[in-house]
Amino acid sequence: MTRTLVVAETALRELVRRRSVLVILLLLPLAFYLSRRGDHLGQSIRFVCLGVGWALSTAALFAGSAARGIEPRLRLSGYRSLHLVLGRLLALWTVGVGLSVPYFVLILVDQRDVRYGAIALIMALMVAVAAPFGLLLSAVLPRELEGTLVLLTVVGLQMVMDPADTASRALPFWFSREIGTYAIDHTDGGYLTRGLTQGIAFAVVLTLLVVAASAVRLRQRRHLRFVGA
Amino acid sequence: MNHNAWLAALTGELRRHGVGPDLTGHVVAEAATHLTESGEHPLRVFGPPDAYARAVADSLGGPDRRPPHRRPGPVRLAAQGITKRYRGRTVLDRVDLTVRAGEIAAVVGANGSGKSTFLRICAGLVSPDAGTVRVHGALGYCPQDGGTAEFLDADEHFALVGGGRGLTRDTARRAGRAGAAALDWSPPAGTQARHLSGGTRQKLNLVLARLGEPEVLLLDEPYQGFDRGTYLDFWHEVWRWRDAGKAIVVVTHLLNQLDRVDLVLDLTTPRERAA
Amino acid sequence: MDQERRAQWLRGVLDLCVLGLVSRGESYGYELSQALRAHGMGTVQGGTLYPVLLRLQRSGLLTAHWREGATGPARKYYRISPAGSAALRAAATDWTAFAASVGAILSEEPKR
Repeated sequence: MTRTLVVAETALRELVRRRSVLVILLLLPLAFYLSRRGDHLGQSIRFVCLGVGWALSTAALFAGSAARGIEPRLRLSGYRSLHLVLGRLLALWTVGVGLSVPYFVLILVDQRDVRYGAIALIMALMVAVAAPFGLLLSAVLPRELEGTLVLLTVVGLQMVMDPADTASRALPFWFSREIGTYAIDHTDGGYLTRGLTQGIAFAVVLTLLVVAASAVRLRQRRHLRFVGA
Repeated sequence: MNHNAWLAALTGELRRHGVGPDLTGHVVAEAATHLTESGEHPLRVFGPPDAYARAVADSLGGPDRRPPHRRPGPVRLAAQGITKRYRGRTVLDRVDLTVRAGEIAAVVGANGSGKSTFLRICAGLVSPDAGTVRVHGALGYCPQDGGTAEFLDADEHFALVGGGRGLTRDTARRAGRAGAAALDWSPPAGTQARHLSGGTRQKLNLVLARLGEPEVLLLDEPYQGFDRGTYLDFWHEVWRWRDAGKAIVVVTHLLNQLDRVDLVLDLTTPRERAA
Repeated sequence: MDQERRAQWLRGVLDLCVLGLVSRGESYGYELSQALRAHGMGTVQGGTLYPVLLRLQRSGLLTAHWREGATGPARKYYRISPAGSAALRAAATDWTAFAASVGAILSEEPKR
């Protein structure tokens, strides 16, 4: 536990020091929000949630790539891959909460007649899904540019694809559209249930995949045996 | 420079030139006596401290290399039959290396002869096509570059790597700063690794490998970017670690260091040697 | 005498001069530097003298020990060893022969 916390604290410090990146990430959801603020209030909520997801998964992507160099050394100095990946996730989740709270407050102040609780739920799920999603991309794609392009594609598709289309359920942020409909258009609870199920499933599966990818990459190789000193 | 400052500088330079602590004491005391009796300025009588230290070291026929009674300890690292191929080319062909506690092994060879690959296999970062590595105790690894985090300062590195070894933040920081001091470096608080020079970053890298006193140290040309003084400090430290019973493997291309080590593993293939 | 030439010559024989001086009785660095000057060898600085002493000690021609003086600081006294005496005798013979050869060349009258 201590080891996970040490990794989490260090990862948080690293994230916070990338000031310019942080500022861009913080402003990105705002741009999304304002883009539809004038004509379609409800749409601006959907967009700001996607913006939070995009910002956090981008941050996770960069954090994951930056850690590649030092992780083998940390593994050798006594960390398990689980310590490393959970520590980093904790740090990203913390940043994600910090990122979404101001936007939730903005919606509270700026919007009327929506289900605030459901919006809070979207944001919580967004943070839970976006962090492992970005880390997973960094584990699979060695270069940041490729990961960024994939993220761009996913978020773009998420915006343009009809949520009713079955194929769009394969996108990681689909739940935000579904629960969004429930929160904004006051539809029946089916939307909430479907969204919640998909969101939780993605959060769990992505987290497990990140843990597995890290365990494979930082595995103890079979040719090397440590004998007690 | 007054007498005391000159004598202090001489002490440091003698150490850097590999003169043992006992002899250093004698040389410094004798110089102090001479200065007291003659009343002359040290720079006039002895010249600059580093030049005089070099003259003393030369008169000994080189640095005081190994303590007189050393028995090699138990085996710490045993690599057997290590074979590695890259794109159909055999880089390492059934390489064996056994290093005991209190021994330094140098891995030498031409560029591309697989020195770093061999070390990475020993560290378990790369899998070989055949062969095994047994390590008794903990492993410290200093990569050729990388191995540090751009946005963290030295103390945070110490805390992070030390945390893996089970050290508290304070213990890790103290151990890290002591290791840095031995390389004539006192890490400025708050300076992130990305703002350090290449040589200084390598010092950090080396100190990190040593945190928590692992029994086996794998060093991949860790002295790149070091100035001459730090380079001497580095070897002095390596000898000290050896005398403390560590098993050390150093990748090097500098053949003039080979007389200071216990084992040499030459990865140059016979074919290359003939060419 | 030309300073530079003297320094050049001295470089080859300084260890023998030091050995010779110590063979007359134990001595220490500062005293030896004074004695060298008194013998017309000019100023031999500590930076040159002590490494020579160290080399002679290392090769077993001199022995050394520290002793508290009645006045002044503790000094490192050097004494010649039996091996040092033997080496000095051999070197003295060689030097005499060498100096005689040089002398013969330098003092020869030019042929008319």
